[in-house]
Amino acid sequence: MIKERINYQKILFDVLRIFMGVIFIYASYDKILNPEAFAKAVYNYQIMPDFTINIVALWLPCLEFLIGLCLITGTWLHGATTISTSLMIIFICVMLFNLSRGLNISCGCFSTQTTQDTIGAITILRDIAFLLSSLYLTLWLFFFSKSQDA
Amino acid sequence: MKIKNISNRFYHNPFRKTLWQVPLIILLAFTISIIINHLRSDKIPLIGNWSVDARFADSDGKTLVISLEQAKELFENNAAIFIDARPKEQYEEGHIQDALSLPWQEVDTYFMEVAPILEERLSKIAKVNSDNGENKNISNAIITYCDGESCELSHELALFLKEMGFNNVHIIVNGWTVWHKAGLPVSVEKK
Repeated sequence: MIKERINYQKILFDVLRIFMGVIFIYASYDKILNPEAFAKAVYNYQIMPDFTINIVALWLPCLEFLIGLCLITGTWLHGATTISTSLMIIFICVMLFNLSRGLNISCGCFSTQTTQDTIGAITILRDIAFLLSSLYLTLWLFFFSKSQDA
Repeated sequence: MKIKNISNRFYHNPFRKTLWQVPLIILLAFTISIIINHLRSDKIPLIGNWSVDARFADSDGKTLVISLEQAKELFENNAAIFIDARPKEQYEEGHIQDALSLPWQEVDTYFMEVAPILEERLSKIAKVNSDNGENKNISNAIITYCDGESCELSHELALFLKEMGFNNVHIIVNGWTVWHKAGLPVSVEKK
């Protein structure tokens, strides 16, 4: 009975792992192709010192791509899920912070277009759903996984 | 056997794995991003210039920004046309007096409608101010504005107008807020 439940959880784990992997790779694609436009999106959040903006705009999409790759291939899963959960928490906090101070800016989540995907309830709820998926992956790996290869 | 088990459990400890995998992924991503940026033709500098003048520059890197004082002077001398780049609804809720509405998000729809009015007004201004030597470098100007320090609509619109052949285009950064706060003339169309 217990074994059956664990298998069911493992299937859910694999589905969410690949889903989150695809999401991260999809999110990184436009940003890697358009670093200048993404740097503007990072600047618009107005939370980073100016000298760090370009470095973050270059590094963050690569990090998202690498996490996506790790999740899909099942490599370095402990590290990848920990970073993805941390990233989702940071993204949600930053959006809430900017909404609370009345900044009407583009999310920059999946597109570098500054006129698309404005931050609001929908983008926050979407990120909360991603956070819950990511959190499930992390907790499952840490407390329920018997696998020794990740 | 017991020692082997303990060492096995230590090696496969999830917290231990996380401890080396997290920095490794972060550093790997950083290294790859620097290499990709170095190799690409449209690379960006690692430390960018995010000053107002640099952010609102034209394709040659020349700033399009003018101060509120300059804009006010041009307004009082009837030497400039103001264009509101915000969505139509925001324009109707309040805009700089006599400003035209050309929402950047719908520029394809409205440009052909606004362009003849713009040409007509510019030629009128040119006639009236032909003898006026003051502010010659920015007279007969088009001044675009939107709202918010990081608002890009006015910049995008200014670049578009330059591409369309209007040379003397400028921007007031955070235009609506600074104009409104300074108590300068505004119009409201929607009550």
